[in-house]
Amino acid sequence: MNRRVLWIVCAGVAVALLLAWLLFFRSGRMTPVEEDLPATIAPTPTPAPKQQVVLLFPGRDGLLHPELRQVSLPKESDTRIQVLVEELLAGPTSGLAPVIPYSAELRAVFVGQNNQAYIDLTGPPEPLDGSMTELMLTYGLVNTILLNTEVTAVQLLFDGSQRPTLTGHLDLSRPLVLNKRFISGP
Amino acid sequence: MRRTVVFILVFAVASVVVCVAQGLPPTLEFRHQGLRIEADTLRDRVEMAPIMSLLGGEMTFSASAGVWALSLGENLIQIAPDRRLILVNGELVEAQDPPMTSPTGVAVTLAFLDRHILATFGFHLETFTGGYSIVPGVRFGDTVSIRPITADFGATTTLVLALSRAVSVSVEEIPEGGLAILFENASPQIDAPTPLRSRRVRSLTAGSGRLDVDLAIDVGLLSWNILTNPDRIVLEFGRVPPTPTPAPVRVVEYSGPAPIVIDPGHGGDDTGAIGAPGQMEKDLTLTIARRLTQALRARGYTVRLTRNSDIERALTDRTALANRLEARLFISLHANSSTISSVRGAETYYMSLDDRASDAAAQSTADLENRASGGSSATGSPLDLILWDMAQSEVLNESSRLALAVQGRLNALLNLRDRGVKQAPFVVLTGATMPAVLVEVGFLSNKAERDRLLSPDHQQRLADAIALGIGDFLGGS
Repeated sequence: MNRRVLWIVCAGVAVALLLAWLLFFRSGRMTPVEEDLPATIAPTPTPAPKQQVVLLFPGRDGLLHPELRQVSLPKESDTRIQVLVEELLAGPTSGLAPVIPYSAELRAVFVGQNNQAYIDLTGPPEPLDGSMTELMLTYGLVNTILLNTEVTAVQLLFDGSQRPTLTGHLDLSRPLVLNKRFISGP
Repeated sequence: MRRTVVFILVFAVASVVVCVAQGLPPTLEFRHQGLRIEADTLRDRVEMAPIMSLLGGEMTFSASAGVWALSLGENLIQIAPDRRLILVNGELVEAQDPPMTSPTGVAVTLAFLDRHILATFGFHLETFTGGYSIVPGVRFGDTVSIRPITADFGATTTLVLALSRAVSVSVEEIPEGGLAILFENASPQIDAPTPLRSRRVRSLTAGSGRLDVDLAIDVGLLSWNILTNPDRIVLEFGRVPPTPTPAPVRVVEYSGPAPIVIDPGHGGDDTGAIGAPGQMEKDLTLTIARRLTQALRARGYTVRLTRNSDIERALTDRTALANRLEARLFISLHANSSTISSVRGAETYYMSLDDRASDAAAQSTADLENRASGGSSATGSPLDLILWDMAQSEVLNESSRLALAVQGRLNALLNLRDRGVKQAPFVVLTGATMPAVLVEVGFLSNKAERDRLLSPDHQQRLADAIALGIGDFLGGS
């Protein structure tokens, strides 16, 4: 190989190595502990078995009605809640009404050490009204999560914030526990 | 050829320099226990991963929840990029600057790092030229968050101030009334300030290094303690003997027979449900409330309205008014709405205490405080607990009876679809110290029912039915 060409290739490789070093290894230069402690643990998706879950949707009688569905349900509480909320957001399949009367998205799920879950949803684009709307939305979510997971209470957040109430009735400032009064009897 | 090689090399070096200048941020050095690390900064934020490595903590990501978990020892902080709310050891905290996604995970501002992460782990930042040392101990003078809980017992009131961290305090009684809690090197900040629901503790005001407690007339401090696990200050108030100095003159807002307080739901900018353009729940509830007032006055009752015009009133102020007036009853009037247009009928709600996790927690806290005030006995001071339970049960039982009486009359007189008596943790019923109900007179979202609700005849019959229900309850109580 021509010596000059070899020179150019070497220079190119050197520049590439320098760039790679600058881009990927410049941060976190702490030699004593850096090799022992991984900076992050990459999420490893684990296949979850399908299970039957109970989803609650409002019916014409103004009560929550169960809809059974087979879904892949992970073991971890936060991912389990995420699956359940996504199923609720996808809507009912049996003629019931949607739990959330607007096109909502799940922003984040927190599960605290005390086993209380915090569900952060996008807020309604227009103000909602009626205690019925508020009760069905709140307990459709809260009861569904509590019936299918091991969390003990659920607090709803909207657009990343706590809201004292959604339509001016229900106290949403604190985590709520299971309320069977709004679930239709057999 | 040599020129070509030189040109390529110069071009490559220049490219690298441009890359460094434009794309790569500067680094900050952090030191901790003899170790040092450099962390990249992104705009005004610093990478968390190297700092967690330096501290010997763990940082994991839940892809589905979109949440990073930072843990050190028994402390756990959960943060999500672009979210102000973070979960610190199970407590929700609102931060000023949200974290942002970064090449190695998540980056936070130095203020966020110091106040929320390092403070939780028991450290704080100290500067040196070119970087920061992470040193043990929470920074003095930092904010301490306070979550107040009050519980009125028979003759005493317990005020629990749940603290975000341990503090040193002293308590001074103010000659004009009330007392000041003085914090040593800490600034108290009340979390989500809401009116206190106590007959003896009127308000809390956080200032620089102090928290002022305003007390009702003739109420004084009986005892106070600092307790740990969780960190909290517990104060007990009760009636104190009159002092030789004259008590401050206070305006008595109302003196007469205990009134029935009627609360027309919503008002002002809060329209409530809207049946059709111009048909708003706030107007309907005010109209029915005025008719109900007349109907009750005709029966010899004293009545007060929480609002008598189209004004906005905080939900907690409505119940607070009833408590301040020591009302006989509290009736909140509403009209409902549903996305399912066929839903119709009237329903009456009373308070549900067991739906809120914090009520159970508050009860546990009251239990804990009673045990603490009762000394080392495991059973503590059962008298206050019994009084607490009795007071709560009595109000709920009476509210349940009132709800049944009102709903019964609505069903009988109006041929409405009976949606029954229900319990829910409604804000406006929270903390009421008298029988309290919320009446949903019908659905504005149902066309047939909306037409009836807007008719003056039907409104009068609704008011008469509710008045009869109230009469049934008071006559039989």
